[in-house]
Order: sequence, then structure tokens, then C-alpha cells
Amino acid sequence: MAEEKATKEEQKQMEDRALSVFASEKKEDMTALIISFVLAVMVLIAFK
Amino acid sequence: MNGEKKSPVALITGLILLIYAMVLKSHEAAAIPGFMAALAATLKTSKTIDTQVSVGLWGGAIISLFGIWNLIQPAMKSKFDNVVRAPMAGAGMMIILAYLCRFYIEPIFKIWGKAAQPALGFDFAAMFGLNYILLGIVIGIIWVNTIGVPAWMQAGVKTARLAMKMGVITLGAMYSITELRYLGGISIIMITTFVMGTAIAVLWLGQLLKIPRPLTGVLSAGIAVCGVSAAVAAAPVVKARGIDMAYSIGMLLLVGLVGLFTFPPIARIAGFNELQFGAWAGTGILNSAQVAAAALIFDPHTIETLKVAEIFNITRILFLPFIVIILAVWFAKGEEVDAEAAGAPKIAMGKILIDKFPIFVLGFIIMFAFSSTGVFTPKDNVLHGKNFYNVKPDEKKEVRTRDLKKIQAFIETGAVTDPKAKEALEKLVADRQITSVDQADLVLKAQDFTKDKDLKAVFKGADAKVHSKPKTIGIMREYMMWFFAFGLIGLGMQITWQTIRQAGGKAAFIGVVVGGAKAVLSFFAVWLFIKGNI
Repeated sequence: MAEEKATKEEQKQMEDRALSVFASEKKEDMTALIISFVLAVMVLIAFK
Repeated sequence: MNGEKKSPVALITGLILLIYAMVLKSHEAAAIPGFMAALAATLKTSKTIDTQVSVGLWGGAIISLFGIWNLIQPAMKSKFDNVVRAPMAGAGMMIILAYLCRFYIEPIFKIWGKAAQPALGFDFAAMFGLNYILLGIVIGIIWVNTIGVPAWMQAGVKTARLAMKMGVITLGAMYSITELRYLGGISIIMITTFVMGTAIAVLWLGQLLKIPRPLTGVLSAGIAVCGVSAAVAAAPVVKARGIDMAYSIGMLLLVGLVGLFTFPPIARIAGFNELQFGAWAGTGILNSAQVAAAALIFDPHTIETLKVAEIFNITRILFLPFIVIILAVWFAKGEEVDAEAAGAPKIAMGKILIDKFPIFVLGFIIMFAFSSTGVFTPKDNVLHGKNFYNVKPDEKKEVRTRDLKKIQAFIETGAVTDPKAKEALEKLVADRQITSVDQADLVLKAQDFTKDKDLKAVFKGADAKVHSKPKTIGIMREYMMWFFAFGLIGLGMQITWQTIRQAGGKAAFIGVVVGGAKAVLSFFAVWLFIKGNI
């Protein structure tokens, strides 16, 4: 249990080193996906 | 951090953008254009004023609103504050830097390059590719290594990769099925060879040099797949420690940086076109961000090179889950004795595949699928090759009568031996304009049957007349370029000498040897096997 916690802590530190404001790569990807699609829909509504 | 105390910086950067946009608009709209409009005319950026104003107004308004919020109530440590409110000040500053690079520094270098040409014998700005992408990265690197990134900017800089991913997802709307099929085919062959070859080479060298297995594992993923993200993804399965990651990230940034600055000039000397450079950069440059940067340095004013480079980059990113599985098996075999003794669990391949699948690539694919349905293009528009076409009959699209007579005379010479091309030309003369995309291809193909430059220009002109520029795609392309410019300035600000200095010893040796070999071998593979253009 303690080892698992330490591994998670280490992984978090590694992701911090990869320089992102997000807690994980997956969350960053999901945010990018959602913002991109919201923007695309806004462009469609406004300009098509 | 920006948080815990009230900070006015986001509001200041937002207001700078807003005021700049409003002053620029008023100077342009005045009966006698003000000095900013005159400056834009001198720098030949007048055509970009609308873009500058709209980005300034929208970006400035959003950042100012968050700036007011940050001023009233400090950003604390909630997830929303960390991800949205805290980065606003830095994001505002990076947008200002992007403005300076794109609309001021690049045009000034262009003018200097041309002015110095008689004395130097060459245009140094064109030769060294001093465009806003390269300048943005260089300014970022100089900034972080001299004055340093202030605390209020740090969270903003950390959104660079998010912006790059948004750029890649949006890029998905810019491909045609034909392009994707063609690029996908050649990229799978190249990438499979190089990803697997590189991964094996690193594992072998690691064993030869007696490098600890966790470090070898993350280096293998980073060098073989897509750089820092791949190293992070592989770290848990090879039980990498913080120090292993520090070595790997330092090395990946160092080798990526060398690639970023050397690939474009070498490709120019080798005479590479957009397809060839995109393929080379997407295969040979180690880090994903540097791939996009190199493609935009090589060709900043169209997106053709970027499109090719990103297909190659995405193809290799798709290899990530498989490489992680291979590394998990490789690592478990090395630890076999200990693991058996400890009763270690089996490797859950299905879980790794799902966990490590890069979701933003899924976004790219969905965006492409949407775009293929024609949702982003007005009725009658079709993306064919790199251009949109609208072949609906219209007087404005008609070829001039004297040019039609030239085509008729050419048909009568019997020089067009391809019956389909001949038929397409006859139809063009009859209809006075191109009426289908297939006919457009055949009319362009007819250029092969003549050496007359004027006649070739007539064929190209007939094709150009049915090109269209859908507004939706134009706007998406514009904001995509802002995502990349923003992301790449942030990338520059992440390249510190301190990080690169960590790339010492055997990790750096492996990076230089295998990364260098990958760059050289992929250059020759492209040179020998990839011909033509997209």
C-alpha cells in the first residue's frame, strides 16, 4: 500500500516535470479535445 | 504561484491586448490613418489588421475578465484555479509575445534581410528562416535563460502543451480523405520501421553500456516514440525514478533542440519539398512539440508541411501503447527472478492499451471525420487535394475567351495523347469553366503535354478559378496557427540550460547516437523513397 502510494507520488512528480498544469496527461488531452470541439461548434454557429 | 495573493497581472495583460486592438482599429478606420495603421503598411501587415483586432478583442476581453476575478479574489488551490485562473496572466503575456513576433519582429527581419541582400549577397532572414515561429521559440529560450520566467507566468507557460494539442486536433479538419489515405500509407511504413528500430537499438545499447534498466526503458520510449510524453507514459511500467526522468527529459530536449534548428536549413539545402520535409521531421525529430515547430519554421505561411509532419507524428504516437507493453514485458523479464519471488501480478495488457491511448489523437480523428462529412464547408464546396473547390456554374469562374481559343488550338494540334485529358479540355472549352474536380485534375494533367509556359498558366488559371476559401475553415486555420504560436513560445520557455545540463553521461550518449542515427537514416529514407508532393 505504502509502495503504491510512493509510486503514485513519483508519477505525479514526473508529470509535473513534463510541465503541465494538469494532474495527468489524460486530463490534459480531454481538456484539449473539449475546448477544440466547443470552438469548432462556435465557429460553425457564427460563420456557416 | 500566482495564487494566494491578489494579482493584477492578468488584468494588465488583458487590458494591453484590448487597448492595442481598439487603438489599431481606430487608427485603421480614421479618415487619415493613424501611426499604427501607417506602421502596419510599412511592415506590410495591413492585411492582418482584422485578425489582430479580433484576437486582441476576444483574447483581451476573456483575460481581463479573469484578471478582474483574480484581483477581487485570489486564485487558490482548487483544480479550476490551477488550470484556468492561474495561467491567465502568463497566457496573456505569451499572446502579447506572439503578436510581437508575428506582426512586428518577423516583418522587421524581412525588411532587414532584403535591405542587407546587396551587401551580403543573400537574404539572411529568408536563408535562416527567421519567421515568427522560430523567433518565438528563440525569444522564449533567451527569456527563460536570462531574466527567467516570473512566478506569475509559470502556470501560463505550462499550458503550452495543451495549446499544441488543441492545434493538432483542429488540424484534423484540414485534411481530405485522399491526402490522409496517401500520407497514412507512407507514414505507417516509415514509422513502424523507425519506432521499432529505435526502441530495439536503445534497449541493446542500454544493455551494452550497463545502464540501469529503468533509465534504459524511459529512454527507449522517449527516443522511439514522441519524446517527453512517451517517457512519462513508460515510466511506471519500468519503475523509473525522478532522476531517470530528469536525465531523459534533459536529453530529449537537447537532441530535439538540435533537430529543431538543423532540420530546416539542411532540408532547404537538400531541396526537400513540403511532403519530404514533413515526413523527415515527423520521423526524425524526437519530441512532438519540436516536430510541429520545425514544420512551421520550414513553411510558416501555408500548413502543408505541418499537415504531413503531424500525420507522421500522430502515427508514431499511436505506437505508444504498444511500446509501453513491449517495455513492460522486457522489464518484467529482466526482473523475473525477483518478481517470481515476490509473486508479482501479471502485466495487464488490455489496461495498458486503454490507459496509454493518447486521447487527443482520438480528437484529431473525430475532427477529421466531422470535417469529411462537409460540416465545416458551405454547400457545393469540396476539399480535393490541398484545395477547396466550388465548381457550381458561375460567370466569375469562366475562362477568358482568348484563353479558350488557345486551348482549342492546342487540342487541334493533337498533342494531347491522353483521351481523358483531351475530353476534359474539350468540355472546358464547351462549358467555359471547370465543372468537376476530376476534370480539374485532368486539366492540370494536360500541362504535361506542352512546354508553352503561357498555356500552362492558362490551365493553372482555369483550375484556380474554381478554388474556394470557406470562411469556417479559414477561421479555424487562423486560430489553429495561434495555438501553435502560443504553444511554441511556451515550449521555448521550458528549455532551460538547467534542464539540458541534466542530460549528462550515458543517457546523453544514447540520445545523441540513436537520435542522430534516426535523423540521418530517416533523411536518406525520405530522400530515396519519398518522391513527388502532396
